[in-house]
Amino acid sequence: MMNFTSHSPAETEKIGAQLARMLRPGDVVAFRGGMGAGKTAFTRGMASVLSPDAEVASPTFALINDYGGKVPFWHFDMYRITTMDDLYSTGFFDYLEMGGILAVEWSENIDAALPDGTIYVDIRITGEEERAITIGSRKGGGAG
Amino acid sequence: MKILALETSAKTASAAVVTEGKVLGVTSVTAGLTHSQTVLPLADALLKGVSASLQELDGFAVSTGPGSFTGLRIGISAVKGLAQGLGKSCAGVSTLEGLAWNFQGLSYTVCPVMDARCGQVYTSLFWVNGGAPQRLWEDMAISLEALREKLQSVEGDVMLVGDGAELAFSALSGSGKVLLSPPALRYQSAASVGFAALARFAAGETVSPAELLPAYLRLPQAERELLAREAGKKG
Repeated sequence: MMNFTSHSPAETEKIGAQLARMLRPGDVVAFRGGMGAGKTAFTRGMASVLSPDAEVASPTFALINDYGGKVPFWHFDMYRITTMDDLYSTGFFDYLEMGGILAVEWSENIDAALPDGTIYVDIRITGEEERAITIGSRKGGGAG
Repeated sequence: MKILALETSAKTASAAVVTEGKVLGVTSVTAGLTHSQTVLPLADALLKGVSASLQELDGFAVSTGPGSFTGLRIGISAVKGLAQGLGKSCAGVSTLEGLAWNFQGLSYTVCPVMDARCGQVYTSLFWVNGGAPQRLWEDMAISLEALREKLQSVEGDVMLVGDGAELAFSALSGSGKVLLSPPALRYQSAASVGFAALARFAAGETVSPAELLPAYLRLPQAERELLAREAGKKG
């Protein structure tokens, strides 16, 4: 379990980049934390390492952004995913087996379908610009 | 009659050219690449290898599900495009039925099982009596427990086949009536899809490219809605 305090989106990005350097093909990074917590900033930081040319944006409507990269990096937004059929039809289970790295926003919505070994990134809003970020292998990290 | 069959419902992409009672050629790739990159070059190389042109084929076959969402769509789209362009007919073969065709010519009650996650399986039942598989159950998505109950009413031993066969075998072997298929006959095969399709073509049960559709099996309502509720429990 690792705890970080971020004071700006730029700092959140740096923490994302730090995590990205430790990831291996097949890893799933699942975000927990509401609107405006900095999930996309964190993902942008990850992409700066995994897929430097990518333009990162939250895939709210596309559901999945494919950023390419030497090890493929995919960005999911599960905000509108509520059933197993929804999830199946995003191709999520296929991506799990394709040896890339997945960053999953609103992972709360698909908790039951996250694989063993998922890395949870819990981002809590603790001030206007301040965020408490917990990275660990257990659901709900330092939040509870 | 010569048919090109594609099988892309799981990790392996494969293509086969079959004719009555004979596999003319089969190619397969399990390389972690997306099937969209592999399946057409695979089919192209295969046709060259068996010295057949697309034009001289009598039709196309593809497994239509259940299986990988993107895999199924790639295989079905490829066949739709080829058949539409050439004005030929298609046969869509249930992935589970295709698995039962691995046992064509043998004598077993065959139960294809595919892992549908969350303790659920895609399954069906076929009776193979020295010839073509005869369907006993519709394709369905049920829990392993429900499958165990359903198998109680089946007479004799049941041969488990498919990527969920091992899972089902360890869960059901206590009931004493299940057999685990040999690895060489356990997984999806484009040749088997082709043989199933030959029977469809012979019976005149083909479809137009437009009528060819994926058959994703839906999980029971409770399991479909399980996603976030589980979260509450575990969290």
